[in-house]
Amino acid sequence: MNPGIDLQGNFIESVKGFGIPPGAARALWLPLPMLIVLVAATVSVLVVVWLERKISAAAQQRIGPEFIGPLGILAPLADGLKLVFKEDTTPSKADALLFTLGPAIVVIPVFLSYLIVPFGQNLIVSDVGMGVFLWLALSSVVPIGLLMSGYASNNKYSLLGGLRAAAQSISYELPLALSVLAIVMMSNSLSTVDIVQQQSGYGILGWNIWRQPVGFLIFWIAALAECERIPFDLPEAEEELVAGYQTEYSGMKFALFYLGSYVNLTLSALLFAVLYLGGWEFPVNVGTIANLIGVSENTPWLQVVTATIGIGMTLLKAYFLIFLAILLRWTVPRVRIDQLLDLGWKFLLPVSLVNLLLTAGLKLAFPIAFGG
Amino acid sequence: MDFATLVAQLNTGAILPEIIVITTLLIVMVGDLIVGRTASSKWTPYFAIGGLLTAVGALYFLWDTPTPIAFLGEYNSDNLSILFRGIVALSAAGTILMSIRYIEQSGTALAEFLIILLTATLGGMFLSGADELVTVYVALETLSISSYLLTGYTKRDPRSNEASLKYLLIGASSSAIFLYGTSLLYGLSGGETNLSEISTQIGAAGLADSIGLVIALVFVIAGIAFKIAAVPFHQWTPDVYEGSPTPVVAFLSVGSKAAGFALAIRLLVTAFPLVTEQWHLVMTTLAILSMVLGNVVALAQTSMKRLLAYSSIGQAGFVMIGLVIGSDAGYASMVFYLMIYLFMNLGAFMCVILFTLRTGTDQISEYGGLYQKDPLLTLALSICLLSLGGIPPLAGFFGKLYLFWAGWQAGAYPLVLLGLLTSVISIYYYIRVVKMMVVKEPQEMSDAVKNYPEISWELPGMRPLQVGVVLTLVATTIAGILSNPLFTLANDSVTKTPMLQQAMERPAIQVSREIDRTPINL
Amino acid sequence: MNLAEGVQIVSLGVLALMMLGSALGVVLLKNIVYSAFLLGGVFISIAGLYLLLNADFVAFAQVLIYVGAVNVLILFAIMLVNKREDFKVVPRIWIRQVATAAVCFGIFALLGTMVVTTPWAISTEVASGDSSIVRIGLHFFSDFLLPFELASILLLMALVGAIVLARREFLPEEDLTPGETEALTLPERPRELITTGRSDSTIQ
Repeated sequence: MNPGIDLQGNFIESVKGFGIPPGAARALWLPLPMLIVLVAATVSVLVVVWLERKISAAAQQRIGPEFIGPLGILAPLADGLKLVFKEDTTPSKADALLFTLGPAIVVIPVFLSYLIVPFGQNLIVSDVGMGVFLWLALSSVVPIGLLMSGYASNNKYSLLGGLRAAAQSISYELPLALSVLAIVMMSNSLSTVDIVQQQSGYGILGWNIWRQPVGFLIFWIAALAECERIPFDLPEAEEELVAGYQTEYSGMKFALFYLGSYVNLTLSALLFAVLYLGGWEFPVNVGTIANLIGVSENTPWLQVVTATIGIGMTLLKAYFLIFLAILLRWTVPRVRIDQLLDLGWKFLLPVSLVNLLLTAGLKLAFPIAFGG
Repeated sequence: MDFATLVAQLNTGAILPEIIVITTLLIVMVGDLIVGRTASSKWTPYFAIGGLLTAVGALYFLWDTPTPIAFLGEYNSDNLSILFRGIVALSAAGTILMSIRYIEQSGTALAEFLIILLTATLGGMFLSGADELVTVYVALETLSISSYLLTGYTKRDPRSNEASLKYLLIGASSSAIFLYGTSLLYGLSGGETNLSEISTQIGAAGLADSIGLVIALVFVIAGIAFKIAAVPFHQWTPDVYEGSPTPVVAFLSVGSKAAGFALAIRLLVTAFPLVTEQWHLVMTTLAILSMVLGNVVALAQTSMKRLLAYSSIGQAGFVMIGLVIGSDAGYASMVFYLMIYLFMNLGAFMCVILFTLRTGTDQISEYGGLYQKDPLLTLALSICLLSLGGIPPLAGFFGKLYLFWAGWQAGAYPLVLLGLLTSVISIYYYIRVVKMMVVKEPQEMSDAVKNYPEISWELPGMRPLQVGVVLTLVATTIAGILSNPLFTLANDSVTKTPMLQQAMERPAIQVSREIDRTPINL
Repeated sequence: MNLAEGVQIVSLGVLALMMLGSALGVVLLKNIVYSAFLLGGVFISIAGLYLLLNADFVAFAQVLIYVGAVNVLILFAIMLVNKREDFKVVPRIWIRQVATAAVCFGIFALLGTMVVTTPWAISTEVASGDSSIVRIGLHFFSDFLLPFELASILLLMALVGAIVLARREFLPEEDLTPGETEALTLPERPRELITTGRSDSTIQ
């Protein structure tokens, strides 16, 4: 298997060339990928917001943002600037400390989860051995922040919104985890890199989506619920709860929630791509093409091209899913809270358990196709 | 290790009775789900009793099994455990007999009650034979958590809620302390969880006199003493007994307690042989406190359930005498007493339930003149209470006789004298109830008895109660005079249990270790 | 001391301080909501300590179960009840507080002495790291099979029990007196409403 481009090795080697000891070179490298991913995640939010505006406009046969930059691409930036310069208010009877902490606790785990998103064999912040498990664990911290901000706002709508958000997030974590578990069982590993590796080799045919037709649906539904997207945006259902736990927030704190929800959506889409759509894999195996045109896999320019294609493929797949999510938002009505919980506990949970059982059975019966 | 060799090593046959209970539980649950609440309440209790009796039958075939160790040393199905599992299963069967009518009357679902009760039974049965720390803990929690749920089962009754909450809070803290103790054992033994391995490793590491082992002992005893409601870990008992549904109290006072004693014997004897003196000392203290406090405070009670709660604390004190003696006769008398206690205590609770169902009260003063209206109930309750007090020729007398005799033989004179004294006290308060029922003239009858309904066994769920009352009455009477089979059973269970026999020989080894100071692999 | 060791020592210190601080906060703060949030902090710091000990799986499981489930449950309970009660001032409360503190310090001193004086058998094996999950699985299905399977029964029973406690009680059919209509016997309606709140039955 071609290990692909090794940025870290190259970087450390070149820094050592300047006469810096290897330990320091490593220390210099450490913050770089984190920074890059952090910035990229934030920038991707701008793209998603622009997409959301444009696609929603198309769905409603409007034009959408038009004059702020070509095709209105600077509209999200203007939104952001507005939020930055807005007055940051705290309700007078609110619990100021928790009110401030809440949004931070919501956002931090989401950003931390980017640790495990791979864009290539070595293009990952940290190949944690228990990658997807780490993601599940981190995503379970988010409800604490929601409850915190809901409680601290000293507003009944906020409190209800926070409670709803936590209930929803707990209910849908189970089907989510179980559908991920089915993938993990086939891949024999919790590491995101291994999961992609296991799908590679047969191009588009090797992707997990063919082997987990039920699992991917459950995952996507549960992921949408975790991100509180319509049809599952009960916590901020404006007809019932004003804006749920966000009601009292303004300025940068509101921006954090806003950012958090879009970063989370992107993260879910990326992980969907990794778990079910072969991650950075091209629909046709790159190794085969290289062999066809007679180029060695270790040629530097081919490595750069492969890495670029890998990043491109991951993003492409993720943005396709984001497109789907946005389309869903503007075409599907919101469910009621009892319907939401019914769906989670009485339908998705049993179905995902059966899916897990079935996967285990298939793995025993056809070890070749299901990663024995 | 591949699958086939693993299955061959497991020796699953040793837990056949438990498997039967699990199957019963699942059938009750799924059956109730399919046929619905009203239809299922017609057959589920009888099915559950059938399952439990089948499990007891399966236990009979496991008696003297040549291969008691199962699940790679996690479970030990020796004769002692078989006897305790039998007691737990029988107490659950008796509890079901008395609960059918009671649960129906309280307007709650019967099938769920049975499911939780069967799980508690399962926990108790596994606890009786668990030979490894993790199994011990999981079994203990299975028993405890289902007990909390059973305690709060009649959730519209605020007393039941209070009882459940108290039980949960105290139980959770005691289980946390127990867990801390077991984690110390794990650490001291260098990462062993098997009970006998633990003592071997601790001995080999020369930690026999370490403070850590003593702390572990104290913490573990705190957990066990909570289960058997020994003073000073008894504070939950009166409130929980008073508030929770009466059948549950019967199970807690017999089944749960028996499982606690089984755990006490196995854990203390197998894992703490190096500090035998210390745990004997602690248990002696607990026994003295339980006997004195349980029996003295019971004198002042006005509610029958509270009276039985304190009496059960006192009874636990008597049983602990057998535990601290540490001889063959001591363990055998303990097992024997528990077997008899099963019948007489269940019988007493059945009578209390019957009275409560007919009159709606459990105040002792309301029992006045019951003899005139319901001779059978009076007879059964009197016999059971007198047996609990230890009046010859009833079963309880022989149980106590054996316990005190064993204690006297082993030289525990003060303990035996105290036991005698406190059982005299206990006779006073038991007889007070009997006198209240029997001696009162018709004009002195209490209001509840004056309004006593027509005795009818035709109502749904009353027939099992009648059967239960008669059965326990017969058992309590007969088991005294014809106690020989039970006596032999108890003796056999002790003499044929390798764990206890090794423990009996061990003091000699310890002495020799004192002399030559060489490490010995026990 | 190289970079990695330095980072480890610093993180250990930070995590320990965080854990002790938030644990003290849980006990000492008057506001129960703060206590509940700080409990989350304790759990997170413990997870961090597990990470330092190379026990990744335990660390993440700690976060998932204790922070994500247990702590959220506690918060739920507090917020759904949300009843502020000012307790009466107990005269001479400081005696109790001092006594509690003394007992706590006593236990701490005892356990501390025990930990320090005992020659623990420390394993020299290398921590298994990523393969730990495989080893845990192997243990579950060989020498810890019995508790593992028993836990499934325990969880099943806990599920049943939780539903029993949480659901509204079904009404036995005998309770349908002639005056009542069908709407009053809906299974979801609690019994208390049936007897008292007849006037609002048309809304349901």
